[in-house]
Amino acid sequence: MAMNFWSKGPLYNPSEEHAALRESVARWALANLDEQADEHDAVEEFNIGLFRRMAQELGIFGVTVPEEAGGLGMDATAAVIIHEELSRFDPAYTLSYLAHEVLFVNNFFNSSNADQRERYLKKVTDGTWLAGMAMSEPGAGTDVLGMRTTVRPDGDGWRLNGTKQWITNSTLGDVFLVYAKNEDPDGRSLSSFIVESSWEGFSVGRKEAKMGMRQSPTAQLIFDNVYIPRENLLGVEGGALVGMMRNLEIERLTLAAQSVGIAMQATEVMSDYAINERRAFGKPLSAFGQIQRFIGEAYAKTEAARALTYQAAKSTSADTRNSLGAAAAKLVATTTAEEVARNAIQTLGGYGYTREYKMERLLRDAILLSIGGGTNEAMQKNITGDIVRMIRR
Amino acid sequence: MKVLVTAKRVVDPDVKVKLDGSGNLDLSNVEYKLNPFDEYGVEEAVKLKEAGKADEVIVVSVGTSDSQKEIRTALAMGADRGILVEVDEDEDLDPLTIAKLINGVVQREEPQLILLGKLAVDAENNQVGQMLGALTGFGQGTFAYRLDIEDGYAIVGREVDGGTADVKVALPAIVTADLRLNEPRYASLPGIMKAKKKPLDVLTPDDLDVEVDAQVRVVGYELPPERAAGVIVADVDELIEKLRNEAKVIG
Repeated sequence: MAMNFWSKGPLYNPSEEHAALRESVARWALANLDEQADEHDAVEEFNIGLFRRMAQELGIFGVTVPEEAGGLGMDATAAVIIHEELSRFDPAYTLSYLAHEVLFVNNFFNSSNADQRERYLKKVTDGTWLAGMAMSEPGAGTDVLGMRTTVRPDGDGWRLNGTKQWITNSTLGDVFLVYAKNEDPDGRSLSSFIVESSWEGFSVGRKEAKMGMRQSPTAQLIFDNVYIPRENLLGVEGGALVGMMRNLEIERLTLAAQSVGIAMQATEVMSDYAINERRAFGKPLSAFGQIQRFIGEAYAKTEAARALTYQAAKSTSADTRNSLGAAAAKLVATTTAEEVARNAIQTLGGYGYTREYKMERLLRDAILLSIGGGTNEAMQKNITGDIVRMIRR
Repeated sequence: MKVLVTAKRVVDPDVKVKLDGSGNLDLSNVEYKLNPFDEYGVEEAVKLKEAGKADEVIVVSVGTSDSQKEIRTALAMGADRGILVEVDEDEDLDPLTIAKLINGVVQREEPQLILLGKLAVDAENNQVGQMLGALTGFGQGTFAYRLDIEDGYAIVGREVDGGTADVKVALPAIVTADLRLNEPRYASLPGIMKAKKKPLDVLTPDDLDVEVDAQVRVVGYELPPERAAGVIVADVDELIEKLRNEAKVIG
């Protein structure tokens, strides 16, 4: 049943193209994602066939890349729409899409030169190659500058050594954007490189067994003296920090959008169950005050998280930065998704706890979003840091 | 070959329609979509173009300026250009008036093939295609589940009561699409971005020399009576007993 109680209007669909995009992605997701989500969660395997078919049927790769460069010329709001609509049905599938489209394609394009675009852009926007990004390490997550992966000059290029942790799409990826330090592991000078998985010295560690996001493969990437030719340096040597920080903003917005999608789905599931399906003591569940609190708060908080996410997306682009907005949206939306998914399970009672209903999967998936792309504690630190810089006398 | 295909704006068929206090449709919070049966027509037209059998696919819609959205959807699926016959929101339109307006576009554009949905899922009249056949004098193949274009003919596989029937109609011809004709594609993001730049002309009924004077008017809406709850019978004997003595439908 279509539930039409979510806010509409120009904040959510700023143009006719945004509205058309939302309609197509929503229809595609309902028809294709819902039916495969449980199965791929159970076997913990990414549906790469569906991903390639999505490239043909929806063409939602290179969304934020300008049209003249071969992309679709849309904005952060379009990226938020796509992640929200896909995540309603399968957050784990959507996470792998995010790693490909936001962490690699958007990031790569903003730092790449003409030759690199010529060599890589088409492969990652037509569905031929699956991509990802490697930042975190076994001993350095939110504390990115603590990374120990290094490059040292060798001939006309570099040798890459180190281990990256929690890398989405690792087991299937063809190409990765890799951050590394220039020689000195205690220094602050970061560079970024395009590294292909077929290169000598590149290997993938054991696949992680995770609580949620099970369709999306996560593993270590191990670089053992991998040779990187000069033409695969992204941007300038030692200058990767700006690009990294810039990309974290749209990453956090799209992770917030995934959380919004989960919260919307959870609100719809609990509402439908309490209003149309389950009766107790001769009345629908929705007639009971305790359940009304679940539904009422789920709706209000999801609407709030959604409005904040789209508001932050309005002022996020490669040229207009909004770290405060992205951090605020991620903090609110991820917290909301966890709470609403949890209360949906409570509303469904025993059924909510079984795998027959999708709520237990959505809750397991939601928790990653409070950790990945910067923990919620890092968002609190960043928001305070931004405010300190703005108002300190 | 030039193909004309229709794209009507309809209330999302998944929405539960409500009435307001004065017996009118409450459309305050509904979404609109391209009529699903027209979507089959658009898909078929785009497939004919991809197969090299059509040179140009023109989408036509009759409605308010809001219907531009549904034309753009068809353009995003691959049609080449759009025509909106714009009418006022409060204008009564009956199937014959719409058929006359589409006929006006047919006279201007002279397409060899006109594809329409067999019906629109809002009022479900199922009349415009057949009336357009009468107005144009073209042959028609309605309820199509299959369409081939060969040597100046449209071979239409039709769904009829009790099975299927093929008809061979000389072009120019009218074909109305049923739901087994094809599986419509999604409007892809590249398609949506291209559609933005495709031409969309707006015409008025005056431009087409058609007088809008509907003979059929909507006088009111009423919800069907709610069905009473059913009963579960224990066995066939009880069923027969109830059919005979309660429902009195068997002797």
